[in-house]
Amino acid sequence: MRLRGAIRIAATPSATWAQLVAPVSLAGCVPGARDVRQVDDRTFQGTVHAAVGPMDGEFGFTASIEEASFPDTLVVRIEGVDTVTRSRLEAAVRASLSEAPGGTELAYDASVGVHGRLAILGEMVLRATASLMIDSAAACLRRRLEAVDPAVAGPAGGVT
Amino acid sequence: MTAGRREAFDVVVVGGGASGCVVAGRLSEDPSIRVLLIEEGPDPQPLPEVIADPRRQAELVLSSPYVRMYEAERQDGSSLPLLSGRVMGGGSSVNNLAVVRPMACDFETWSAFGGEAWSYAAMLPLMRAIERDDDFADDPIHGDSGPLMLSRGFRLDDPADPPVSALIEAAGALGLPPCPDLNQPAPYGVCASPYAVKDGRRQSSAVAYLDPARGRPNLTVLSDTSAGRVLIDGGRARGVEISDRGGARRVAAGAVVLAAGVYHTPQLLQLSGIGPEEELERLGVPVVVPLGGVGENYRDHAVVYVTFEGTTELREEWVIPKVRLIARSRPDVPVPDLHVFMRPTVRVAGLPPMLPVSLHLLEHRSAGRVRLASADPASLPVVEPALCEHPDDVRALVDGIGLAARLAAQPPLASYYGPMVSPSADDEWEAHVRTTYDTYHHGVGTCRLGREGDPGAVVDPRLRVHGVEGLLVADASVLPTVPHANTNLAAMLVGEVAARVVAGRPLAAVPETPPRP
Ligand SMILES: Cc1cc2nc3c(=O)[nH]c(=O)nc-3n(C[C@H](O)[C@H](O)[C@H](O)COP(=O)(O)OP(=O)(O)OC[C@H]3O[C@@H](n4cnc5c(N)ncnc54)[C@H](O)[C@@H]3O)c2cc1C
Repeated sequence: MRLRGAIRIAATPSATWAQLVAPVSLAGCVPGARDVRQVDDRTFQGTVHAAVGPMDGEFGFTASIEEASFPDTLVVRIEGVDTVTRSRLEAAVRASLSEAPGGTELAYDASVGVHGRLAILGEMVLRATASLMIDSAAACLRRRLEAVDPAVAGPAGGVT
Repeated sequence: MTAGRREAFDVVVVGGGASGCVVAGRLSEDPSIRVLLIEEGPDPQPLPEVIADPRRQAELVLSSPYVRMYEAERQDGSSLPLLSGRVMGGGSSVNNLAVVRPMACDFETWSAFGGEAWSYAAMLPLMRAIERDDDFADDPIHGDSGPLMLSRGFRLDDPADPPVSALIEAAGALGLPPCPDLNQPAPYGVCASPYAVKDGRRQSSAVAYLDPARGRPNLTVLSDTSAGRVLIDGGRARGVEISDRGGARRVAAGAVVLAAGVYHTPQLLQLSGIGPEEELERLGVPVVVPLGGVGENYRDHAVVYVTFEGTTELREEWVIPKVRLIARSRPDVPVPDLHVFMRPTVRVAGLPPMLPVSLHLLEHRSAGRVRLASADPASLPVVEPALCEHPDDVRALVDGIGLAARLAAQPPLASYYGPMVSPSADDEWEAHVRTTYDTYHHGVGTCRLGREGDPGAVVDPRLRVHGVEGLLVADASVLPTVPHANTNLAAMLVGEVAARVVAGRPLAAVPETPPRP
């Protein structure tokens, strides 16, 4: 699954970058994440609870910043396993920042691979979830950054 | 009963799936026919609750050992999981239990390949013979004493939960009429869904057809046993090579019926030297009968999800077991081409509830294929499903997204559905269809029927493999096109046909009652 889009944030690229490369700050913007803990200065772990109809499960994940070169290369790798199907999910999210009218444009390109039966639910569950997570994470970043630099934010990007 | 090392049978049925259990059950009704049924998967007794209890269907598919997954790809290289059941009952032991007849127009199409025996009129007595449908006991198109019990968790005249009545009302406002009997020849509208459930328990083909036959002395059942190839000598099938934990051995039989499903029946034929010559040469399998159609003509149903933000939490079972819409993607398409389901809530911590709607395209205009990865019978075949290749298939699903959007915006349903999340109203819907489609798990067609001289035909209208005596195919792979319906019942129907052919009974019987117009 490939997810691409762009988010506008009313803050400077360097202020946005500082939020993105700090695991504690990044983790704080993952909606619904529980038991979040920092492993080292590039890695954090956490758990997300999800239910599809009658099925309930936990998704335990590790997110690590693999590459960080301001302003155009940030690569975050996310790996996790769910408790129901024991499937492995791997995502590589590439982000880059550029100046845009009123602030910064954060462009992202994520490729998500699911190994195991979770793939059966893939398109029904993962895409919409990813889309809402991105919206929610973008709103969180905006809240943090625009509290510092309260200019008007541009429209959020979507999932393609 | 177990098969002795030198035991011979009149008929060996390979694959105890939706169709294979029908064949074995029906044939063994005649005590003079010695039948061996071979199933690669287990035959757990008593039936595990995860199979028997329909409420555990999601768990069955997502985490039980009874499902086999095949990795296929969409045109953009993303992965597309295909599934089959690997357990006694095959797909009928792991599927969603919907019992849906092919539409009359499907039989019309099939009879162009297979003649009068495949017409709606000729097939109606067999469809009646399969089922017991107490909701329509007085209707001459329905059966009242077949092995497969149908039940509806909800009938359209039952009192409905508010979201269900909201759906019925919204669909009505969009021109979809109530359709109490989904199994009429040309269903359309808001349908109450019939399921293979009796007293709350799954009615797989294993339960409905095999269980009542298990005590018969002329029926032998071998589970956890896999067929590797058909033994052919002098242009005639003589038996099969099988293997289990104890190793490989041969079983002799007067006739061999392959019912290993749409992925494995073409695999078995090719491993036996029956298939496209170039493919057999690539695999290093000596050619016995060159048949170009083996593994070709794969047809299935593509599914696309549209997810809305939910305005409220809906009870998980609110619609799935109750209502489906049979709709037209556009007013001018001649046959209804979509199944539409409102799916239960997806909840992810920290996010608003999500309400998916699934759109199931009932047609597949391009054809895919099944190829062998190697000549090792244990290696899974490679499936190239070729779904959503034809522009009209993509167009129908894009129109379906529009239909879902109109439906969700229609009062009173609109009080449950918020904005579209995936795809959003601004996204490219065509790209969404092309890059996210899934399957309804309704593969057919890889050993399709057709008359002598039809270059793509693998079996004749009586299901006998062209060019080999005593070898039949009896599963969903013989269907030339995918029906405008779920496929389990069609596979069972093929099983009924095969049992009659092997037992030497006539096929195109005069219908006892005329079909409803
Ligand atoms: C998840 C899922 C949900 C579905 N939902 C529905 C639904 O709600 N309603 C509906 O109508 N249809 C549904 N279907 C489709 C339906 O189940 C199939 O169309 C049907 O099972 C096909 O029957 P078949 O006899 O052709 O093959 P199968 O039922 O697949 O049977 C083939 C059998 O052969 C066995 N086999 C394979 N290779 C060998 C070998 N070498 N030796 C011995 N045995 C072998 C397999 O283990 C299997 O048991 C669904 C399918 C799936 C997978």
